[in-house]
Amino acid sequence: MKKRNYNLLLGGAITGIMMLLTLMGFFYTPFDPEKMDAANKLSGISLTHIMGCDNFGRDIFSRVLKGCGTTFTVACGTVLIGTVFGTLIGAFTGYFGGIVDEVLMRIMDALFAFPSLLLALVFVSLFGSGKYHVIIALGIAFVPSFSRIVRGEYMRCRDLDYVKSARLSGASHLRIMFVHILPNIFTVLLSSIMIGFNNAVLAEAGLTYLGIGVKPPDASLGEMLSSAQTYLFSAPWYALCTGGTMILMILGFSLMSEGLKKNGGGRYAS
Amino acid sequence: MLLEVKDLNIEFHDHLIPETVVSDVDLTLSEGEILGLVGESGSGKSMTAHAIAGLLSRHDMKKTGEILFDGKDLLTCPREELRKIQGNDISVIFQEPMTSLNPVKQIGWQTGEALRLHTNLEQGEIKKRVLEMLELVELPDPELVYTQYPHELSGGMRQRVMIASAMICGPKILIADEPTTALDVTIQAQIVALLKRFNKTRNTAILFISHDLSLVKTLCKRVAVMQQGRVVETGTAQEVFLRPKEDYTRLLIEAIPKCERGKSMRETV
Repeated sequence: MKKRNYNLLLGGAITGIMMLLTLMGFFYTPFDPEKMDAANKLSGISLTHIMGCDNFGRDIFSRVLKGCGTTFTVACGTVLIGTVFGTLIGAFTGYFGGIVDEVLMRIMDALFAFPSLLLALVFVSLFGSGKYHVIIALGIAFVPSFSRIVRGEYMRCRDLDYVKSARLSGASHLRIMFVHILPNIFTVLLSSIMIGFNNAVLAEAGLTYLGIGVKPPDASLGEMLSSAQTYLFSAPWYALCTGGTMILMILGFSLMSEGLKKNGGGRYAS
Repeated sequence: MLLEVKDLNIEFHDHLIPETVVSDVDLTLSEGEILGLVGESGSGKSMTAHAIAGLLSRHDMKKTGEILFDGKDLLTCPREELRKIQGNDISVIFQEPMTSLNPVKQIGWQTGEALRLHTNLEQGEIKKRVLEMLELVELPDPELVYTQYPHELSGGMRQRVMIASAMICGPKILIADEPTTALDVTIQAQIVALLKRFNKTRNTAILFISHDLSLVKTLCKRVAVMQQGRVVETGTAQEVFLRPKEDYTRLLIEAIPKCERGKSMRETV
């Protein structure tokens, strides 16, 4: 009997719900997330404000919905940049080896040596903050880890028999790299994309927390979390709700990547 | 002469001391001929075959001599030209059918790859030819196999698929690098029969590499024996098997297990 993959199921469910809420946040929020309301300043959880209000009397639930959108965009953009460039670099270095490998990987090592947050920090302070700069900065910081994973997979695959027979049927290197090998490393890539997504969510929160990430009035989970810490005791729901949302977002993807790993094993083992 | 290997030397240079794996190999293969290349493991059979197929990497390795295919030297010709020959004029089947198919691609796609690379046929025409080819290698239900993935097929079926994809462009030379080693005996016989049929009907020359001498004896007209990177003896299969000139060849032939009538049959089966 086939064992059910609870990781994948649960992760998928959580991620599905979070995605729905995020999508909803782009089009509809119960209250205007920017609208301040002095009367409701730091009011607690109630039926009208299901997550309460923040220090300006803004509805936290609406802001969380909006913030999820921002965080999601930043994380996706980051992962996209990281994956595309990481895969390209990893594919070339892993497949060809030799001098290309040496040069590119040493550059990656240098990039890798910086903590990714620090690298993003330098970038942001050079080019200014804002959503798109954060995406580019984090994206570049994520390239080395992706290229490393992809490189390893290409090194493993390049001498396999099916790659040899592709070469023997006269396929060019590019065709072998991206048509023959790439689909084979897809599960590995997918689960590292998910982990990368989580790291990007955290990195964005970290950058914003330091005050150099997403700028107000753009709501993002990190930005909300950093302002929530001032009211940790007077309005604990503020931090709990934003933090909880972020945890759910990350948990969903983590579980999914774990589940994918388990699922992937069977199909590729044969 | 279709293929002529002259004075082929292959040296590995990826360690401190260069290592010679193939030295002074001369081989010839004419159209429609089946040449058996025999020898123990590590005698350089596969290296020679890989060199002919153009599979050896261009660095870390020193290669001298000539491999003439239709008068063109495969060792020195530009990569683009080599690529045109690979899959179209020279094809290879490997020993391990389990790993020589791409696990995430459908059989139909993989079998048609050489056609896609070497011809400008339309999608529909490619599919038609692939199905014909799958039928020709005696796979049951080609339509179904076309959409299946390698893990759904048995070893023998995979080897048939390999043969189908190697033969799809109608190559002049088929290099079979121990194609039956990983298969059990009944399947072996079927695969060999299949190769024989392609040799007859399509006049494909086959370079059959094996350490199974009894198989070589039944299949090949000419045999070359390799030992430690050198060809020690060549000749027609009859000459070599009946009157071996070299001690090494004689030892190899003596190593073929024989069934003595009556007593041992019952014990072994």
